[in-house]
Amino acid sequence: MTKLTHSFSLSLVAAGLLASTAVDAQSIAIINATVHTSTEQGVLQGASIIMDEGKITAINPAKVDADTIIDAKGQIVTPGFIGSMNQLGLVEVGAVAGSRDGGDDKASIDFDPSLAFNAHSSLIPYARKGGITRDVITPQGGDSIFAGLASVVDLSGEFASEKQTHAALVVHLGEQSKGSRAMALKNLVDKLEAQQQKSKKKKDDATPSTEDIVLTKVLAGEMPLLVTASRAADIIELIKLKQQFSVNLVIAGAQDAVVVKEQLAQASVPVIVSAMESLPGSFDSLHASLDNAGKLEKAGVKVLLSIAGDASHNVYQLRFDAGNAVSYGMTQQGALKAITANVADVFGINAGSVAVGKAADLVMWNDDPFDFKSHVTKMFINGEEVSTEARQDKLRKRYTTDSEMPRAYTK
Amino acid sequence: MMQKFAPSLLVVALGVAIAGCQDNDPQDEKVTINKNPYPSTYKALKSTTTLITNATVLTGTGERLEEADVLLVDGKVQQVGKDLTAQADLTIDAQGKWVTPGLIDVHSHLGAYPSPSVESHQDGNEMTSPNTAEVWVEHSIWPQDPGFNRAREGGVTSLQILPGSANLFGGRGVTLKNVPAHTMQGMKFPDAPYGLKMACGENPKRVYGRKGVLPSTRMGNMAGYRTAWIGATEYKRAWDKYDADYAAGKNPEVPHRDIKYDTLRGVLEGEVMIHNHCYKAEEMAMMIDLSKEFGYHAGTFHHGIEAYKIADLLADNGSCAALWPDWWGFKMEAYDMVQENVAIVDAVKNSCAVVHSDSDTTIQRLNQEAGKVMYRANDNGFNISEQHAIKWITSNAAKALGVADKTGSLEAGKQGDVVIWNQNPFSVYAKAEQVFVDGAKVYDRYDDTYQAQSDFLLGQK
Repeated sequence: MTKLTHSFSLSLVAAGLLASTAVDAQSIAIINATVHTSTEQGVLQGASIIMDEGKITAINPAKVDADTIIDAKGQIVTPGFIGSMNQLGLVEVGAVAGSRDGGDDKASIDFDPSLAFNAHSSLIPYARKGGITRDVITPQGGDSIFAGLASVVDLSGEFASEKQTHAALVVHLGEQSKGSRAMALKNLVDKLEAQQQKSKKKKDDATPSTEDIVLTKVLAGEMPLLVTASRAADIIELIKLKQQFSVNLVIAGAQDAVVVKEQLAQASVPVIVSAMESLPGSFDSLHASLDNAGKLEKAGVKVLLSIAGDASHNVYQLRFDAGNAVSYGMTQQGALKAITANVADVFGINAGSVAVGKAADLVMWNDDPFDFKSHVTKMFINGEEVSTEARQDKLRKRYTTDSEMPRAYTK
Repeated sequence: MMQKFAPSLLVVALGVAIAGCQDNDPQDEKVTINKNPYPSTYKALKSTTTLITNATVLTGTGERLEEADVLLVDGKVQQVGKDLTAQADLTIDAQGKWVTPGLIDVHSHLGAYPSPSVESHQDGNEMTSPNTAEVWVEHSIWPQDPGFNRAREGGVTSLQILPGSANLFGGRGVTLKNVPAHTMQGMKFPDAPYGLKMACGENPKRVYGRKGVLPSTRMGNMAGYRTAWIGATEYKRAWDKYDADYAAGKNPEVPHRDIKYDTLRGVLEGEVMIHNHCYKAEEMAMMIDLSKEFGYHAGTFHHGIEAYKIADLLADNGSCAALWPDWWGFKMEAYDMVQENVAIVDAVKNSCAVVHSDSDTTIQRLNQEAGKVMYRANDNGFNISEQHAIKWITSNAAKALGVADKTGSLEAGKQGDVVIWNQNPFSVYAKAEQVFVDGAKVYDRYDDTYQAQSDFLLGQK
């Protein structure tokens, strides 16, 4: 556990299992790669990367020394992409209630759906096809504005998946299906103020509740306060809230963030947006546009990209969203960071860039990873090679393979 | 335009009742059902003779021409080829750019489920009875839906609006030209056949099963269709008999009129095309048998997540399959998605594979949706070219809508529906730069004059 330097906890059970697999890990070198580092180093041509014990241990060492050496032959290597704002591993089929665990009517500050995370979900190998190696699973919530706690999982698809819980407290503000958004915001402010008062009075021997722990971390700026809101006026109010409580505010949805992009940049508030939203879905998003991600980036806002709509089944498309963001004004490097390093920064994930000490989550591509013509040629999570074969491939093969026998015999 | 058809049926029917209905009586005025009571008022925008030069042209017929020209005259494609010498009022140098037919989306709910998607705008599905064949989605369309403009900016020049999928029979769809207008009639594609939306599977049985009415099961769905077609068959027979008796000089009683059955009768007579929301292989196979039981064509299957399991059957039946590249997992019936579905359906002789959106966002990127399929299929043993894949969103889509004689390809005489792309349209970086409908420019990415804006967004701060 000493390897964990950030403030978030790692599931003890998962960490134990991980440690046991890491012992067997072989060191791997990728050589002759075009490495998109997602750091200030930009793109490295003809580069080599060494992975060992689950981490990137060297970039361009003087001498390449590893158990396995893979010649990329000039192929592009990127950090694994990081999804967010979805229920990967918490849903199998959207309309099958029993397969949905991302929300609960009673969900509140202490709701942690990661307890239900299913590493064997059929969505996970499919997501890997899109170069996704890690994901911020986000509660859907319930009746309260407090949706619950986000967690970070790796997409190895093994029960030993790394699971980083308490990655953010998720709160739903803005447009309400009934009642006023003012009341929703007041509930959040009241909760934070009450916790501040409680902390001042707190007796030393009191055992804190999960809610106390979460709110204390939020107020200390140690846990992001991830708020969904869209309307520019709401975003202004949230910036005030950040200033009042010194919270680590992140705004998701943020369809009209472009209207207040300077204020967001000034207040250092990252936004999680879909690059593909271009319609005024409500009066909160009259400024939705394909140009917005690029405009936010240009204004100096830290931008993270996530998928609109059914983000769990479609997270594999994240790279195409990044491509569209580039097409409509984002820089290539900015779009890459928006699905790697920026997500890692905001959620305290030790991955998302090709740098020594980061998790060895690497993806090799036969062509531009943001365009349809490319596909994953090799993929590593925590330094171990993983497959991109999914149930969908089995089905395709079954129905495109000639056989005298019924299809059911083709496996 | 003069009303071609008889006046109010009610007035005529009363006249018949008063006069009695002896076959030997003098004939009353013939009652004819007006099949086009909400006629198109569409007029193409002003156009000039336009020559697009030096482009990579995907014709929509399977051809790819390099350094080729496209000539639009009087709203129509007049010529496609190299080194055209025609005099044109407007010449567009499209060196390095790609030109395709205007894209066609066979499955959209724009205008009926418009943006903003507020409660007052939920006009896409009359979810009050499992059979609402009597509704026409054109009566719900709000032409100010900003989604029409966004779709045009993505190169969509024609689209079919369908009612939703909660009902066994959801009602009539309508095909539109994607031009800005402030009435539905101003967008209505002249002489395009009507569609009838049907739906299989989970939606009808879930929506009506909860209300405690048929259907609550898939067998209930089938019973519902069959009952309706029996009624439609009787209705058609009654009207055919009326027409025949009248033609024979008799004065027959006018049959009862039912607008629900008008639509189903239109299907039985081959005038209204079926557009069937249907995901699963076994259900599509039964819908084909159902069509044979009652003597109509099963039409186009929409969504068809499992179309790849019955590609042969679909082609044998002459059915198009309008599919997503990759949507899945939102319902059990959408669980068996494969990314190569369109390509597998397409690979069979006489197939008709279509990429559709069913979405106000992916309709803006049908080219990308088709690109996903093409590249994933080519990763897995297919060899699909751009000139072939473009058919999925142009000529095959036009066939599914019954307008292939009018649009969907760049051939002499076809409507001048054209898109100029900044590059290969199957790239994530492709953008429609100029869009033409019936020879008239309706969108220009670099000229605000040709960027339409909805009333709704005008003046919003």
